[in-house]
Amino acid sequence: MTKLAVILGVPIALLATIASLGVVVVDVREGGPDGHRIVVPVPLVFAQAALALAPVVAPADKLRIPDNEALQHIGVARDVLEALAAGPDGELVRVEERDEQVVITKEGRSLRVRVSGKKENVTVNVPLSLALQALPGEDGRIRTAALAGALAGLRFTDLVDVRDGDDHVRVYVW
Amino acid sequence: MRKSILAGVGLLALSVLPAAQAAAQTGTAWLHVRVEEAKDASKVAVNLPMAVVEAVLKASPEMIEKHGKIHLGDEHGMKMADLRKAWKALAEVGDAELVSVESEDENVKVMRKGDLVQVFVDKKGKPGKDGKASKGEEVRVEVPVSLVDAFLSGEGEEGNIQAAVAELQKRRGDIVRVRDDDSNVRVWIDEQNTQSPAGK
Repeated sequence: MTKLAVILGVPIALLATIASLGVVVVDVREGGPDGHRIVVPVPLVFAQAALALAPVVAPADKLRIPDNEALQHIGVARDVLEALAAGPDGELVRVEERDEQVVITKEGRSLRVRVSGKKENVTVNVPLSLALQALPGEDGRIRTAALAGALAGLRFTDLVDVRDGDDHVRVYVW
Repeated sequence: MRKSILAGVGLLALSVLPAAQAAAQTGTAWLHVRVEEAKDASKVAVNLPMAVVEAVLKASPEMIEKHGKIHLGDEHGMKMADLRKAWKALAEVGDAELVSVESEDENVKVMRKGDLVQVFVDKKGKPGKDGKASKGEEVRVEVPVSLVDAFLSGEGEEGNIQAAVAELQKRRGDIVRVRDDDSNVRVWIDEQNTQSPAGK
């Protein structure tokens, strides 16, 4: 009996530990009576480990953006993101057309992009802390360790929500 | 007795009013841009805190230096020193119609009125194929004098963008309005984080 408890307890404790560190969940629901539901949980710690190991396994040039005009604007992009993060909440952009509406709002420490069409609705939340860490440094290097650290702050965040007719896709961090 | 109370309340309200106005001015300034196109039934609204505008203004590395100053120099046609002299001379004139151009196609007026430099451009409508005249185009630009003063406060061949943005932070109201047959563009600053229907 004790053996069984240990055999079951170890993987359960392991799963609980991994879950407590966060899980990215991709939840796909197909519409219709025969629609499937696919749920893919990816422990956040795996993504963090992969990012942390990336500089070791990937060639240095693959983790660096080319030294072109884009690189010159990284500083400005960082200033804009920092100003946005420090600034007040509000609706930043609203585009209304006959069949589509796009709204970008700043809510807390996130940018929320909502696209509403006749048939589909898409919501994307971009945590500003993640966007800031995703920006390469002045030397063009993508700071994977910082990015991995920023992932830890994403717990309980809805990242993507797409509704297309009866189909529904959600990506969230639990 | 009632009259005394009313007078007291009135005096209190008058004494509080300037403080309330000052408090209203210390809120976060937002720059708003609204573009409406009737033909496409499209509306675009952009609302940005001025701090973000300042960060965006640093986005022209060729024109703006690290310290937020624009170079004019010879290659831009007019030396900053000449611009400063001209502006100083205009400031001494006070309210005046600075430029007035009237032609068959358009009227252009540049005036200084109080704290504002106003630019009015009215393009006359032309008759279309169906014989009906189009509405033409109407441009209204209002630039606070203090904004130009701040911009020209740089040294040498530099315009001071940071000082200009700081001045813009204080501005409330319309800056640019463009109306033509099909579209309507408005740029203004207030303390709202959205574009309310009343603000249209």
